[in-house]
Amino acid sequence: MSLADLLALILGISLTAYALFAGGDFGAGILDLLAGGDAPERAAIETAIGPVWEANHVWLIFAITILLSAFPAAFSALGTALLAPLSVALVAIVLRGAAVGLRASLDAGTRSHALLSCLFGAASVVAPFAFGLVAGGVAVASRVAVAVPSIPWTGAFAIVVGGLAVCLCTQLAASFVAVRLARAGETRLLVHVRRRGLQAGAGVLVLSVAALGVAATASPALFRRLTGAALPLIQLGLAAAALSLLALIVCRYRLARAASLLTGIALVWGWLVAQSPNLIGARLTIHTAAATAPALAAVAIACGAVLLGVLPALCLLFVMFARPRPEVIE
Amino acid sequence: MVVSSLPPAVVSHLTTGRAQIGTSLSFHLFFAVLGVGLPLMMLVAEGMHLRTGDPVWRALARRWSKVFGLLFAVGAVSGTIISFELGLLWPRFMAYAGGIIGLPFSLEGAAFFLEAIFAGIYLYGWDRLSPCAHWLCGVPIAFSAAASAFFIVTANAWMNVPRGFQIVHGRVTHVDPLAAMFNPAWATETSHMVLGAYLATAFGVASVYAVGMLRGRRNAYHRKAIALGLSMAAILAPLQVAVGDLLGRTVAAHQPATLAAIEGVTHSERGAGLNVGGIPVPGHPAGVIDVKIPNLLSLLAFDRSNATVRGLDTFPKPDRTPLAGPARLAFIGMVGIGTALVAVALGYWLRRRRDGTGPEDRVTLAALAAAGPLAFLANELGWLVSEFGRQPWIVYGVFRTSSAITTSPGLGATFSAFTVVYVGLSALTFWSVRRLAARPPDGSRALGVV
Repeated sequence: MSLADLLALILGISLTAYALFAGGDFGAGILDLLAGGDAPERAAIETAIGPVWEANHVWLIFAITILLSAFPAAFSALGTALLAPLSVALVAIVLRGAAVGLRASLDAGTRSHALLSCLFGAASVVAPFAFGLVAGGVAVASRVAVAVPSIPWTGAFAIVVGGLAVCLCTQLAASFVAVRLARAGETRLLVHVRRRGLQAGAGVLVLSVAALGVAATASPALFRRLTGAALPLIQLGLAAAALSLLALIVCRYRLARAASLLTGIALVWGWLVAQSPNLIGARLTIHTAAATAPALAAVAIACGAVLLGVLPALCLLFVMFARPRPEVIE
Repeated sequence: MVVSSLPPAVVSHLTTGRAQIGTSLSFHLFFAVLGVGLPLMMLVAEGMHLRTGDPVWRALARRWSKVFGLLFAVGAVSGTIISFELGLLWPRFMAYAGGIIGLPFSLEGAAFFLEAIFAGIYLYGWDRLSPCAHWLCGVPIAFSAAASAFFIVTANAWMNVPRGFQIVHGRVTHVDPLAAMFNPAWATETSHMVLGAYLATAFGVASVYAVGMLRGRRNAYHRKAIALGLSMAAILAPLQVAVGDLLGRTVAAHQPATLAAIEGVTHSERGAGLNVGGIPVPGHPAGVIDVKIPNLLSLLAFDRSNATVRGLDTFPKPDRTPLAGPARLAFIGMVGIGTALVAVALGYWLRRRRDGTGPEDRVTLAALAAAGPLAFLANELGWLVSEFGRQPWIVYGVFRTSSAITTSPGLGATFSAFTVVYVGLSALTFWSVRRLAARPPDGSRALGVV
C-alpha cells in the first residue's frame, strides 16, 4: 500500500465519520421538522442527539484538508465542477446551526420560534440532499475518462442518492432517539419516532435498490463496479437496512440503531470502493492526483499526530458523557 | 480596476471572487481572534480562582466559557465554509499550492480537532470534573487554538514569501513542505497574528465591562474583568510593537513592492523618511498631510539611515498592487490604532500603580469601551495589509490572483447568497451574545454583584 493509498483510506474514514455524526445531526433536524408543534417530542430529539454541536464539522474539515494537501488536483477539480451544490450545502449548514442556536433562546409557541424551526428543518433536509447529489455525481463521473469531466450532480442517479442520504440521516436519528425514549419509558413519543424510523428505513431500502436500477441504465460502467468490486459492501448495506427495518418492527431499538449505523458505513464504503482508485473522473486517481512524495509524507505525519493526540482525547470525551450527569450544584 | 490588462468580464469575475473570500475571511477572522484569545483569558481567570479561591474569578471564567462555546460553534461553521471556498473560488491556486503548503493546513485540521474535543469537555465539564482537572482541560484548548492560528498564518506567510519548491516546465517539483512552512516570514507573521488575537480579546473583554461600569454596574465582577484584560494588554501591547517592527523588516527584505505600497513610497528614495501622514485620497496618489520623519523608514526597514527604498514606480506596471491606496490606508489605520492602544494600556497601568486602584472616571472608561472594537478593527486591517499589499499576486512574485480564480460561472449568485448569510449570521450572533451577557452571572446573588 502506497502512502497515497493510506491517505485515501484516512480520507474515506473521516468522510464516514462525518456521514454518521453529521448524518445523525441532520436527521435530528428532519425529525424535528416532522414532529410539527409537538414540544415534548422536540425536547426528546434534542436530548437524545445531544447539544447540536457544530464541531461535527471537524470531520468534514479534516477530510477537506487531506484532500487539498494530499490530492490537490482532485480538490481543484471538485471545487470547479461543484460550485453550486457545495455552496447550497454550505449555506444550509450555516442556516441550520444559526436557526437552532437562536431558537434555543426563544420561548416555544411564538411565531419566530415556529419560523426558526421551519428553517432548521428545511436546512437539515437540504444539506444531506446536496451532499448526496455531490456523492452521486462524483460516483457517476468517476467512470468517465475525459481530462476535465463535468460532474452530473443533477442526473437521475445523483438525485436518488440525495434522497437516500436524507432517508439514511432520518433513520439514523430515529433509531438513536428511539433507544433513548424506550429507556425512559416514553411510550407516546416512542410510537411517533418509531413510525418515522419505519418510513425512513423503508425509504433507505427502496432508494438503495432504485439507485442500483438507475445506475444500470444511466451509467452501466458504475453499475458494473457497484455489482463487482463493491458488491459485498452493497449487499451488506442492503441487508443491514432490512435488518434495521425488521428490528424497528419488532421493537428491538438497540439492534435497529446498530443496523442503521452499519447501513451507513456499508453504503458509504460501497460508494468509495466502487469509484476507487478514481477520485474525480477516471483520469484523476489516487495516484495521478497525489501531491509529491515529501508532501504526502508530511500529511501522513499530520494524520499520525491526530491519531496520537486526538483519538485519546475523543475517547475521554465519550467516556465522560457516557456517565450520568451529577446533580448541578450552584 | 483590478488588473487593467484583463478583459472586463474576467475583472468582474475576479472582483466577485475576491469580494466573497474577503467577506468570508473578515467574518471568520473576528471569531478566530476570539477563539484564540478567550481560552487564554478563561484559563487565567479560572487559574486565579484556583489560587485565590475568589468566586468572582470562577464566575467570570464560566461566563466567558459560554460566550466561547457560542462563538466557537459559529467559527467552526465559518471555518468549514472557508475550507471549501479555497477550492470553490481558487481551484487553480489550490491545485498548485495544495501540495506545497498542505502540511500546515492538515496540522491546523488536527489542532482544530483537538480544540473542539477539549472545548466540549471544558464546556460540559464544569460540574463533572474536579476544579483542577477542569482547569487542566482548558490548557489544550488555549494551546491548540494558538496552534491553529500559527499553522494558518504560516500558509499566509508562504503566500507572501514563497519557499520550498521549484517550478520546472510549469510543474511544481522539489517540494520541501518544511521549508515552505518555515519560510522567512513565518516567525514574525505568526507572532504578530497570535499577539493581535490576544490583544483584541483582552481589549474586547475590558471594553464590554467598561460599558457595564459606565451603565452603573460598578462591582468586583466588572473591576476584575477590566483588570485582567488590561494586564494582558499592558504586557503584550509593547511586545506587539516590537514584533510589528520585525515584520516590517521581513516585508522590506522579501516584498519590496508591498513595502513601497504600504509606506506610500512612489519614487525611489535614498535615506527615505517615514511618513506618519500620507493619507491616500483619490486624485492625490502620493497622499495628503505629509509628515515625514527624515531617514526613519530607511533605518527601520534596512538598519541604515541612508539605505535606498524602492519606489512603486520602479516595478513594471502589471506587478504593482492596484490596491496601493487601500493597502496604505489599512496600514496607517493598523499602526495608528496600535499606537493608541499601547497608550491606553500603559496609561491605565501607570494610574493604577499611582492610585492603588484602577481609574474609573468616565473618560478612562469611555477610552476602554472604544479600545475593544478598535483592537478588532486593527486585526482586520492588518490582514488587509497582507492581502492588498501582496496583489496582484496570490503567491508573491510567482502566481497571479487573476490566474487562480475559478473558471466556473455563477460567482455573482454565490457571493450574494453568502453575503446575505453572513449579514444574518452576524446580526444573530450579536443578538445571542447580548442575550447571554444580559443574564446575571452564575451564583451572582452569592457574589453580591446583581
